[in-house]
Amino acid sequence: MSGEATGQAVDVRAVWGGAAAGASGVRHGAALVAFAEAALGADASALDKARAEVLAALGPEALVDSAAVIGNFQRMVRIADSTGIPLDTPLDLVTGEMRRELGLEAFGSAANTPPGSATKRLIGRLLQPFTRRIFRHLGAIQRLLRRRDSRASS
Amino acid sequence: MQPFSYADAPVPVREDLTDAHRRAWQNLARPGNWWTGAERVAIADELRAASSCQLCRERKAALKPNAVSGSHDTASELPDPAIEAIHRITSDPARLTRTWFDELATAGLDDGHYVELLGVVVCVLSIDAFHRALGVVLEPLPRPEPGEPSRRRPEGLAPEGAWLPMIRPERLGEAERGLYGRSAMSANVIRAMSLVPDAVRELRSLSAAHYLAIENMQRMETNRALDRAQMELVAGRVSALNECFY
Repeated sequence: MSGEATGQAVDVRAVWGGAAAGASGVRHGAALVAFAEAALGADASALDKARAEVLAALGPEALVDSAAVIGNFQRMVRIADSTGIPLDTPLDLVTGEMRRELGLEAFGSAANTPPGSATKRLIGRLLQPFTRRIFRHLGAIQRLLRRRDSRASS
Repeated sequence: MQPFSYADAPVPVREDLTDAHRRAWQNLARPGNWWTGAERVAIADELRAASSCQLCRERKAALKPNAVSGSHDTASELPDPAIEAIHRITSDPARLTRTWFDELATAGLDDGHYVELLGVVVCVLSIDAFHRALGVVLEPLPRPEPGEPSRRRPEGLAPEGAWLPMIRPERLGEAERGLYGRSAMSANVIRAMSLVPDAVRELRSLSAAHYLAIENMQRMETNRALDRAQMELVAGRVSALNECFY
């Protein structure tokens, strides 16, 4: 969704790693995915190599940011899985297509989100064609506001 | 010397990250709502032990975690259900179930102790993960401060479909005003630990430095060296590797 909003064409299947990471449409996506994989793995030399690649491709600040995001989501996934929270209703409604595309329903913690009523599923299906467009428009509006703010402050 | 000097880091570390980590270490050492400072530090010690626990390794490799029995390799004197919770949350979070959670409660780990334990585990684990990713040695754990836990249960808790009760933004009591920021809406993952409000405050503090402040979640542009799509790609890959549906 962030790709839609920033105007980038992004292949969400990149979260599965492998070849999809290289074709994600995200700048230096393959290096970032390799870094995330190595950081969660047990191979110290693979992590050294992945870290060096991010540093070379994106620079020191981005390396710190990437490590910080890795730490953040090691936290968030555990909060979600250890408390049995269901998906928030709006998120549940608009991400159905993406979840199916990524096969996320196969994860054990999917059991924490009940399938929902027929009405809810219908609303989700009706919203689906508009979701990507809504995010694109939101991103465009945010970019316009940001440009207006920076012009006003300069 | 202050903790988190990052003198051995291969690249400079942002000041807001250093500050957030120092705050987290100060809070870790203090008594919480349900555990003493010594017990909170013991929880952190235990989660570090989980990474080399033989039982955790065997369970992770098994088709079903319950298929393997035995004892955890422990580093503390914490009660058995607490040790089981710390090790499983650390090593195999994707296969936690409501049944597992209920068994912990039956064994004596009540919801307040569980949520605070979770708050400590995820706080320390995320800082350790940052260190490991960056190639920095883990920070030694702080010296516990004396004192008793407050045993305070916040008002406004209600069941909302999770394993634990949570507080809706409109039901926050005076003491918790602003717990979720200015927004009238708050995602379940932010409210999940609201049974222990300080765990939510810690989560917000760390998330603002590691990722984005709650107030900026809806903004697609960031003030980081990574753009939002790059951040989400890293986040998505970490979540997928952890098999997290949420």
